[in-house]
Order: sequence, then structure tokens, then C-alpha cells
Amino acid sequence: MEERLYDLIFICRPATPEEEINKIVSTIEHSAVEHGGKIEKTEKWGTRRLAYRVSKHREGFFVYMVLRSAQSDIIKELERRLKVSDAVIKYQTVRLDEDLKRQQKLVQHRERRASRRPRKPATTPAPQQQMPPAAEQTAAS
Amino acid sequence: MSDESVKPSTESPAATHAPSAPRSEGAPSGGGGGHRSEGHSGGGGPRREGYSGGGGGGQRREGGGPGGPGGGPGGPRRGGKRQYFRKKKVCRFCVERVDFIDYKKAEMLQPFVQERGKILPRRMTGTCSRHQRWLGEAIKRARNIALLPFATEL
Repeated sequence: MEERLYDLIFICRPATPEEEINKIVSTIEHSAVEHGGKIEKTEKWGTRRLAYRVSKHREGFFVYMVLRSAQSDIIKELERRLKVSDAVIKYQTVRLDEDLKRQQKLVQHRERRASRRPRKPATTPAPQQQMPPAAEQTAAS
Repeated sequence: MSDESVKPSTESPAATHAPSAPRSEGAPSGGGGGHRSEGHSGGGGPRREGYSGGGGGGQRREGGGPGGPGGGPGGPRRGGKRQYFRKKKVCRFCVERVDFIDYKKAEMLQPFVQERGKILPRRMTGTCSRHQRWLGEAIKRARNIALLPFATEL
């Protein structure tokens, strides 16, 4: 099975103490490792204003993690833990490996095309400046 | 449509449509249709307009439907309420060569969302179809995680 890449974001209640958030993060990390996954990155975005009320809160503490795993049922387990936890009010898992593959393919295509023929860079005004003199010459002739 | 005979008055709905559409040749007077139906009486005039209304309107719709060459948005679609030429808008993402629209960056997605929270159509923002699809996906993901609103009240 190929490796899958997931983005996991969850929001805790705004008044949650720091150690509780750390506890949740470590719980997630442990259960991920148990099920054969690997947490690559953990970011805490801090308290941010929510776009709409969630569980009667207008703000929330955002935590963002990147998970890499070869098994797909790990997500079910992680989301179950988040659902059970009281402090977490919202969570979302997004699968990203297909998007990244497509992104890399586009980058490769572009590099290959750029190396195949010498192109002028896209954002130079030089072609525009060359055009009027050419038009003037043809008009004059 | 080389029908030269004078049709019965069942064509009157078509004739009434023609003057309502604001086109240059859609003059309700017999003089406008007069140059087409030269040999015919005035009774044939409005019906000529009806036919040309059908033909002209159909052509116009085809031109505005696919959005024009190069994906030019902001095109005239609604019966000529806007001007006939379309403003040349470039897809912002194509210019910057963006390959991945990140749903986590709400400030990047904000310009493509109305004040009420609705996603702006392509013809307003000038985005190309591919990036508009990616943009829609990213906005919906951001909405799910409360980074963008679903709907705001004005």
C-alpha cells in the first residue's frame, strides 16, 4: 500500500489549559504510532476567531498536524479519539497525497517544458517593447 | 429559413419578443423590417423581424455561452444588459503559476468570497476553470473547519 498523507486540524475550546492540549496531542501521536502511522509535523496556531459559532464558542484553539500512514483505518481511530475528547469541538482530516502528486507532476511538466526550449521568462515587458518598434517598421515600410 | 409566404398570426408572440430584446435592428416599426421584406406588404414586416429575432438571438447566445476564447469571463449573457465586449481578465493563479490552493490560508481565499460568504463566480474573478474548481474545493474545506463562514448576515 502506498503512503498516504493527511492533514489533521482540530479545534479546542478557547479556555483549555495548555497541558490538556498537550495531552491530547500526545494521545493522538501515540495512537498514530500504534497503528502504523507517523506524525510529521505539529503546529499550534493558537486562539483564533471562528467564522461561525461552534458549540456556542466564537473562538478556538487551533492545532494542525500532518500525518503520514500506509493504512487507512488509522483515521477512523484518531477521529474517534477526538470525538470522545471533551475539549475538542471540531476536527477535520483531509487527504492530501493525491493533490501533492498532481502538484509535483505539474511542476515536473513545467520544468521539462522550460528546459526543452529556451523560453523568455513570463513576466518581462521586453516582448511588448519590441512589438511597437516592429509595428512602426512595418508601417513605415 | 427561406419561407417567403406570409404566415398566419400565430407568429405574433415571436413578433412581440423581437421588440422587447434590445437589439439594434429590432426596431418595431415596419421600416426596420422593411429592408428585408422588400416585395412584401407591411403585414410581412413584423413577421420578418420575428424570424430574424429568432436567428439573431440564437447566434448571440452561442457567442456568450462558452465564455468566449481564452476563457474570457464577464461576457454579455443576459440579453445585452451589459456591454457587448468582455473585459480581459487574467486568472490570478495562472499568472503566479500556483499548483496548489491551500485551504488553510483563509486570507488568500478571502478575495474570492463575497461579503455574504458566497463563492464568487468565475466571470467576476477571472479565474480559469481548473483553478476555480480547486478554489471551490479549498473554500469548502475551509468552511468546514470554521476558517471561512458558510453564510454571513448583512
